[in-house]
Amino acid sequence: MPDIVITGIGVISAMGTGRDAFWQSCRTASSGLKRVTAFNTDGLASNIAGWVDEFDPRAFMSPRTYRRMGRISRLAVSASLEALKDSGLDLRQVKKERIAIILGTAYGSSSTVEDFFVSFLKDGPRGAQPLLFPETVPNAAASHIAMVSGITGPNTTFCQNEISAETALVYARQLLLQNTADVVLACGADELSAMQYACYDALGALNKTRTVDDGATAEPMPGGGLVLGEGAGCLVVERSDVAIRRSARVYGKLASALISGAPAPMGHYNTAGRQLGLTMRGAMQQAGVSCDDIDQIDVSANFSAELDRIEYGQLKTIFAHRIDHLWVTPLKYLMGDFGGAGIIRAAAILLSLYHQLSLPALDAKALIAEGRQVPEWRAARTGSYQTTLMTSSTFGGGCCGLIFTAS
Amino acid sequence: MISHAHNRVAVTGLGIITAIGESLSEFEEGIFKGQCGIAPISLFDTDGFICQSAGQVKTSDLGQGFTARELKRLSRCDILGLIAARQALSDANIPLEMLDKSRIGVVLGGATGGMLAWEKYRQALWRGQSGCYPSLLLPFSNCTLTDLIAGTYHFAGLRSTISTACSSSATSIGYGYDLIRSGTQDVVLTGGSEALSQLTFAGFNSIRALDPKTCRPFDKNRQGMSLGEGAAILVLENFDQAVSRGAHIYAQVQGYAINADAYHMTSPDPQGMGMSKVMAGALQKAAVSADQIDYINAHGTATVINDQLEAMAIRRVFEKARVGDLAVSSTKSMVGHCLGAAGGIEAVATILALYRQQVPPTANFTDLDPACDLDCVPNTARHQPVRFAVSNSFAFGGNNTSLVFGRVGE
Repeated sequence: MPDIVITGIGVISAMGTGRDAFWQSCRTASSGLKRVTAFNTDGLASNIAGWVDEFDPRAFMSPRTYRRMGRISRLAVSASLEALKDSGLDLRQVKKERIAIILGTAYGSSSTVEDFFVSFLKDGPRGAQPLLFPETVPNAAASHIAMVSGITGPNTTFCQNEISAETALVYARQLLLQNTADVVLACGADELSAMQYACYDALGALNKTRTVDDGATAEPMPGGGLVLGEGAGCLVVERSDVAIRRSARVYGKLASALISGAPAPMGHYNTAGRQLGLTMRGAMQQAGVSCDDIDQIDVSANFSAELDRIEYGQLKTIFAHRIDHLWVTPLKYLMGDFGGAGIIRAAAILLSLYHQLSLPALDAKALIAEGRQVPEWRAARTGSYQTTLMTSSTFGGGCCGLIFTAS
Repeated sequence: MISHAHNRVAVTGLGIITAIGESLSEFEEGIFKGQCGIAPISLFDTDGFICQSAGQVKTSDLGQGFTARELKRLSRCDILGLIAARQALSDANIPLEMLDKSRIGVVLGGATGGMLAWEKYRQALWRGQSGCYPSLLLPFSNCTLTDLIAGTYHFAGLRSTISTACSSSATSIGYGYDLIRSGTQDVVLTGGSEALSQLTFAGFNSIRALDPKTCRPFDKNRQGMSLGEGAAILVLENFDQAVSRGAHIYAQVQGYAINADAYHMTSPDPQGMGMSKVMAGALQKAAVSADQIDYINAHGTATVINDQLEAMAIRRVFEKARVGDLAVSSTKSMVGHCLGAAGGIEAVATILALYRQQVPPTANFTDLDPACDLDCVPNTARHQPVRFAVSNSFAFGGNNTSLVFGRVGE
């Protein structure tokens, strides 16, 4: 079976716009969580999020190109353009029908859904805004990426709550292994919207933290509920034979990818957690590595007591012999939680493997710390980092294990 | 684990609920009679819209078999999908207790999920009325049905939800095929579900894509689509496993292709090249020649441009179509355009064509459009040999999918 390698990275996130800014924030464990001023949060339990406040699409494309795009599409297209440029892939030299675009998003353009529906409620059927409607479909972002870059290969969009991006990456790997595509742009994207924020608030899912300082870093209460985020990531993923043929720089390998699930009440995680543990073990087995080979663990903990405890519980079982010295990276603590986040987490891992600098990390016990004190991060440090486990869970019961290795 | 296996993929169970029937037998009877289920909508107020009709599921009691607590949380889309899944598993007669549940996956397609429930919440909020129950928000995600089906039956295999508007569930069937062919899963439940919603109705109304009366695919006087709702779930299974357990096999999934027009969010490539290429690609993947295809279940929305371009694309790929020797029909003429579930519903129609050796008609057909010069099987089903068949789905954003199915034994 050929190796699946990553040759290009693009990131737009609350931790930085652009790959370099994002990696700098990763190295120093700088949080992108802050007070939301993009919309009114008065009367809500929370007013913080990992929102991208310094994003200007003009840095990536012309206003004419993005004028009809919703926010999620602007974020996703920008990340894809950065990733393509980073990969050195010359689109004039390759068959564009052999390039796939596979994107994961939890909700697509929820702000456009809201805007369109409100235009209908306000002005009736004749007042509903026709220009907004096409942007309400979750596949709008992946379609815009195709249109901007002229890529005509397989194109699809996955929606699986918090593991949307991971499911996209798993399908991307499948397409490459079965030779359906030579190159895949594996993307994850979500936008923060007033509608989505209000819905999570109504369901009581948000971290009940409010801050008064504009621009200051927010410190959510661990275990107090999730903090929403937004952003987009794009990985250029190829079979190694294709990458070698064009002498591409390789960040790292996707050694295995496994998705599974277990029953969970609507809006909740599978609290038994056993399936998550099996998925982690399965991913390691698929990659031919053991627990002792894992030198970094990127977890999907998101400040919700339910998920963070599940992940810790499974890590404690699997890595029992080193749990007292186990460090983990819950990147969502720094950039917020959203369906497309998995690609950005993968980007951080790949940059870590490439630069041989660790991910920022916390003592694993911080996921269940008594008193729920604000976690103390360990900044990146040099060392030998060969194999990283990325583990993800979502409400609804889905879970995922990915193994990335150094090139 | 993905291997280099090339397992054959059998369809061993079908479950379906649409405007022309709430079981496989009712649907089968309906489509082969050319019965049209498009009728006035009762789910929401249609005053002020271009059109007041759609392919709404008729029964007023969808709640049978669900507890009151479940009904409080499930969206209409979820209920339709769970009913179809229950039917499909029963039809497949699959001994779930004997199987490794980690080898059973669920891959569905959906376009709007629990939008109708969200609309109730949003509408009440907008009008300052009571009824803003947060439970209405729970099923909003497109993947809720996938999780519900996997959770209900304790399937621990891969679960994924594809959301590419009108091609969602067709692509999900393709992915399900990949998973079995590659040995990643032994059984996959696939297809999709969709409920009518005000958002989609207002959306297609706003872009003037709805026919004021009833859609007439490929007809000279067509004026647009009729929306619909429903669910179709297919049980895909490793062919050898299906044979060894003595399963009833409807057809084989031979292959599929997906691609992108990369042209426009709502308009297809004006030459229909994306459509041609995806059909040609699917034939190549299926190792089936264009001459071996005896039936195409068209995307056939009945919008002026889409039908014209699909006809052009079919004629470009299939010489038989150019000489009027290829049956092409649109299931949407009977059930409406069921968006995220359309690909699944039309896959069931295609499989039944292979199984019965009979092609379903295009209903509501009066006058041939010279720009859609195809054998549209007008109004009456036709018995004929069907060795292999194609099902097309083309979506907003230029997301195209073609599936190839084969008669068992081909």
